[in-house]
Formats: sequence, C-alpha cells, structure tokens
Amino acid sequence: MADDGKSYNEHNDRVSVPRRRKGRGPFRWTGNRRSGRGNSGVRSNRLDEDDGDVAMTDAQDGPRVRYNPYVNRSNRRGDNWYDRDRIHVTVRRDRGPPERGVAGPSQDGTTKNWFKITIPYGRKYDKAWLLSLIQSKCSVPFTPIEFHYENMRAQFFVEDASTASALKAVNYKIVDRENRKISIIINSSAPPQILQNELKPEHVEQLKLIMSKRYDGSQQALDLKGLRTDPDLVTQNIDVVLSRRNCMAASLRIIEENIPELLSLNLSGNRLFRLDDLSPIVQKAPNLKILNLSGNELKSERELDKVKGLKLEELWLDGNPLCDSFRDQSTYISAIRERFPKLLRLDGHELPPPIAFDVGAPTMLPPCKGSYFGTETLKRLLLHFLQQYYAIYDSGDRQGLLDAYHDGACCSLSIPITPQNPNRSNLAEYFKDSRNVKKLKDPSLRFRLLKHTRLNVVAFLNELPKTQHDVNSFVVDISAQTSTLLCFSVNGVFKEVDGKARDFLRAFTRTFIAVPASNSGLCIVNDELFVRNASPEEIQRAFAMPAPTPSSSPVPTLSPEQQEMLQAFSNQSGMNLEWSQKCLQDNDWDYTRSAQVFTQLKAEGKIPEVAFMK
Amino acid sequence: MSSVDFKTYVDQACRAAEEFVNVYYTTMDKRRRLLSRLYMGTATLVWNGNAVSGQESLSEFFEMLPSSEFQINVVDCQPVHDEATPSQATVLVVICGSVKFEGNKQRDFNQNFILTAQASASNTVWKIASDCFRFQDWAS
Repeated sequence: MADDGKSYNEHNDRVSVPRRRKGRGPFRWTGNRRSGRGNSGVRSNRLDEDDGDVAMTDAQDGPRVRYNPYVNRSNRRGDNWYDRDRIHVTVRRDRGPPERGVAGPSQDGTTKNWFKITIPYGRKYDKAWLLSLIQSKCSVPFTPIEFHYENMRAQFFVEDASTASALKAVNYKIVDRENRKISIIINSSAPPQILQNELKPEHVEQLKLIMSKRYDGSQQALDLKGLRTDPDLVTQNIDVVLSRRNCMAASLRIIEENIPELLSLNLSGNRLFRLDDLSPIVQKAPNLKILNLSGNELKSERELDKVKGLKLEELWLDGNPLCDSFRDQSTYISAIRERFPKLLRLDGHELPPPIAFDVGAPTMLPPCKGSYFGTETLKRLLLHFLQQYYAIYDSGDRQGLLDAYHDGACCSLSIPITPQNPNRSNLAEYFKDSRNVKKLKDPSLRFRLLKHTRLNVVAFLNELPKTQHDVNSFVVDISAQTSTLLCFSVNGVFKEVDGKARDFLRAFTRTFIAVPASNSGLCIVNDELFVRNASPEEIQRAFAMPAPTPSSSPVPTLSPEQQEMLQAFSNQSGMNLEWSQKCLQDNDWDYTRSAQVFTQLKAEGKIPEVAFMK
Repeated sequence: MSSVDFKTYVDQACRAAEEFVNVYYTTMDKRRRLLSRLYMGTATLVWNGNAVSGQESLSEFFEMLPSSEFQINVVDCQPVHDEATPSQATVLVVICGSVKFEGNKQRDFNQNFILTAQASASNTVWKIASDCFRFQDWAS
C-alpha cells in the first residue's frame, strides 16, 4: 500500500492531487468498522518498518484508490507483462508485510494491474456469502470483477495491487461453516476478457438501433432499463451488459453522438455495481436532470461521487444495497444531497426545498400576468371607456375625442431611440413629435413638444397617422386610483390604415391619468403615448380575430345607421357580423349597452369561438 | 393652471423626472434594500400584472427580484393636472428601457410612475405614489 502513495507522489502529480484532496480515508467508511480497525493495525505495523510519512499517506489513500477516476487510465498505461510479473512474484512470496516488496516495481509508476483472485474449492460456497465474508476481513473495500466458478475454483478479478495485497492478507484468516480455513490465492493477470474488448461494430449498430427505439424525443428521455434482457438483443444473441466497461462506454458514445441534449436516463435494473464507467456522462450529456439507478447493485453512496458533476433534479436509487446502509431517511437524503445539491426528488419523493435556494441570489422572476384592473367595476368602466375612445380614435376623424379630454389636459408622444438615422427607421412620422427628455435638454423644445389644453391635444392627435387598433390585444393596468384620479396604462397593437406605412403594425403603451367626469365617465387630464414597431410575435398574434369581409355582408333590412353601427361594433368586438348584429339587436341597437354586455360576456368566457370566425 | 405657470410646472416636472430616474435605477441596481423608501406608504406597484401595495410588501417584492442592470433609453414626463391631485405637485414619468435580471435574458420594458412632492416642516421630498412596470414581451 505504501507504494501507492509514493509512486503517485513521485511520478504523477496530476493523479495524486484529487486523491489527496479526498483523503479522508477510513473515517469515511460506513460499511465496516472492523475493517477500519484492521487497517489502522496494518498502519502501525508499517510505521515500525517504513518511513512515517509514507505510511500516513498510504493509510489515507489506500481505500480511496478505487474512487479515483484516473486510476483506470494509469492502470492501462502501466499494463505490461514485465511489471505484472514482478508484482506477481512479490505478492506470492510475501507472507509478512507485503509493502516493501511491492514498492519495488511501483517506482516505475506501474502500480496498477489486474489480479485474479482464486479461492480453491470456492464452488462449495455461495457467491454472496463468500464475498461478504472476504469483505468483512479485508482492510479495503473491493469490487470483484467477473466473479465466476471454474471447475471447483471460485475466481474473480480486482484491479490494483493494494487491493490485491489486502486480499492476500485475508488468506487463511477466514473460516467456512465447517471451520475450515479458506485460502485465497492472488495472481497477476491480464485484464478480464470482458473489459478488454470493444463491442463489435455490428453490435454497436444494433445497440444504437435499440437505443433509438428506447428514446422518447418529446421527453428527451432514454430508457435503458434492464437492457441485458432486451428481446432484440437476446434474439440476436448480443451480450450488452451495462455493468461492463465496454458496453457502458459504447452506450455513452452513442448518447454523445446522437442525443447529447438528453434530460432523463433510466439505467434501472442493470446490475451496476459501480459508476466509474458512467462518469463520462457528466461531459457527454451535461443537461441530464433525471437519473434512474434503482434496482442496481450499488453498495456505497460514494459511487455517486463519480457522477456528481451532473446537475440532477431527480434521482432514483431504491433497490440498491447502499439504501440500507443509512441510519434513517434524513441521513440518506443529506448524503445524496451532498452530491446533488439541486436535487428536488429522490426515489419519487419530493424533497424539502434545497437550503442553497435561500442562500443563493434569486434568479426567478414573478410570473407575468395579463391586465390588472383591481375591481370588476373599474374593469367595466375602463373597458367601456376604451371601446368608445378607440372607436372614435380609429374612425378617421378624431375631433370627437374633444369630449374625452379636460380643458387643461396635456399630451405627449415618445418613440424608442434608434441608433441609426431616424428618417430611415419607419417611425419617422412620429419622430418630429417624440419627446425624450433624456435626450432633449432644451427647455423650450421640451415645452413645445408637450401639447397642452384640450384643443391642442385633439388637434395633435388628429394629425397622427390613421389607425386601426386591435382591441383584443389590449392589456390594461390600473396603477393608481383615488377619488380624484385614475391612472392606467394600455398596451396593445394597431396598424396604420393609410399613408406610407399603410398596414404597418405598431405596438404602443399609452399612459392616461383621468379625473371623474360629470356623466360618471372619465375625463383625461394626462395622456402619454409611446409607439414602437411591433415585434414578430406581436405581428403574429395581432388581429387574430378576423375583421369581417364584404362577402359576409349583413342582411339588407338594416338601416344605413344600423349598418354603420354594426360594422363599427364588429370592428371593435372582433366578432363576425352575424354575432355582432345579434348582440346589437338584443340590446335594441344601444351601442354602449351592447359593448358592455359583450365585454362582460367575453370576460366570463361565454362567447363561443365561432362568434369570432368570419 | 394658467398658461404662464404651466411652463414652470413643465420645467419642474422635467427636473424631477431626470433626478428621479437617476436615483431610482441606481438604487434599484445597487442599493435594492433602500428602494422601498422611495415609495409612499400607500404606494401601489403593478409589475407585469402583479399588484403590490404598501412599503413592507414592496420591500419584500424587491428583495425577491434578482439583481438587475437597468438601462434607460427614453424618459418623458408631464405635470399632472391639479384636479387629479389637488394642492400637491405631481408628475407623471414615463420610461422605456431594457433590463437584465440575473439569470434572465435582457428584456425591454415600459414603466410609468406618479411622483408627488411630500412637504414636511423642514424640506420637500418627492415620493412614488404609483409604479407600473411591464415587459414589452411579457406574453412570451
């Protein structure tokens, strides 16, 4: 074990750094107290023989070896028969402290190798019983790779010298149920066959096909549950076992090349006993939010460290041995949350909101809502007012708006600043009236651009381009209301109906302040109109309720006045002529009352869609 | 308001608006905790259709908003007719700009304020009586 620390320190700083940082050593073990003590026993032995510093490093780092993602790579580099053989000899000869001997070859940076562990007459024993017995006496946790029986022998592989030497120390230390000592023989070996071979290209193609069948594009979810027993794979006799490195690597490559946007991955029921081979997913599918690992063989929550770069929101772990290793649920949750602080759901249960949420700066904006009227009364009053106002505003002659304004009313207009020449922007017609006091510093110009008194205001409005407003687009906010004042802003779109910008769609935000009028209506004292070009989205939504066309002309029994009223009402309401006429007739051709009834019914959702279809 | 006086009111409104815009958005971006102090106790904010009233609620609301970087492009202002706010100097300020809230994309907005002069024994302080804020693309 000492050689590990030494060789990494001396030969490979890059590798040693993460190991040392994580080096909380045996204190982190949850599984086995006894092995912890065993380990410290080994350490004190070694202190007698070895340099103290090295022993300390070793004691801390030994158990950590298997959690180092770099380990496997350095193993591959150092994998040649010569080094293997020397270690092999050392280990076999060794009956006492093994460290010295192993330290030799480790100087070459080749500590990582595969070892075949053989238990003669191992067939007599149940696999689970045997492995847990060995683990209970072994000073480091180990992962048996490719456990199998060969004749009477039980065999498996482990992948580094320190684990092998720890297993060697268990030789003859355990007894079976008949009180017979069990021997454990360690041989260096080539990597287990299943880990060496890449999948055959045709098998990779099949795997890709099966993965695409199991991919739900609408959810960006890949379901690899129990892949080994996939009927397609089984019938074609293709062995894809995700607990094998080559299979997992092939799957991850397919994900990387085809569905890097993956949000949800189900790996349940794949007998995964470690996550080393899954760790590249952090880079290959960085958006992964949901990971299902339930029904696997994960024994320690530390396996999750290998994928903790994922920003998981949902994780399933039930049905793994690790779930049973916690005192209580809160310990379990906090151990998992430690790895995935953003986790919202664990095993299907909603978790309490993460603490980090309180600490972190907010980035969520309150949801945007539609109109704010405050009360139904105000809503009715205002919608009625706006319908009348814009009916006149869009009528072609705005002189009729005189009644809507207070004698001392004022009005101004502004447009967004455009970096380029305003004459080239298509808001040019508004530019000469635009009053932006952030740019205009001349007091007399500021004064001149503010239209004051009713006559000036209406004259000014009358000169603005002719318009047709989409009343259905209006969003109204009432921001102040007192006994003497109502302040509201109207957002919406209109199109120009003549001139150079004919049919051009504009968006506007208009802020009004009104005082109560004698006829229980409103009288405008302040009016600020902001005009801009409509965005593509606004253009798409605008006038979605079609205006009536001449083809659907009203029945000729109507008087010219009624026809005119009908047309105006249809324009205003967005309803087709048939329904507009019905509404007007039901209200004895009282335009105002019809508008009120329409507004109310519309707000209550009582007007069918067909009313708005031409 | 006579016509002669009106020009004085317009000048006052412009000065109040300019000063206000500087103070308000600097406070919003850099000293958010203090922002609610710019509002009257009875002030109302309608933020993208969400109504918030009273200093304490406003304080909570602003605290909840992500940190911001406002950029103001257009400011217009008008003196509010005194029939609407008897014997109180009042100004309507209308603003267009863009804002980047942390963790969100930059968006254009329109906003309007009613400011009123609160006279006390020692001095006169302008406060916000109402505030209406909406993203131009609020519906998307």
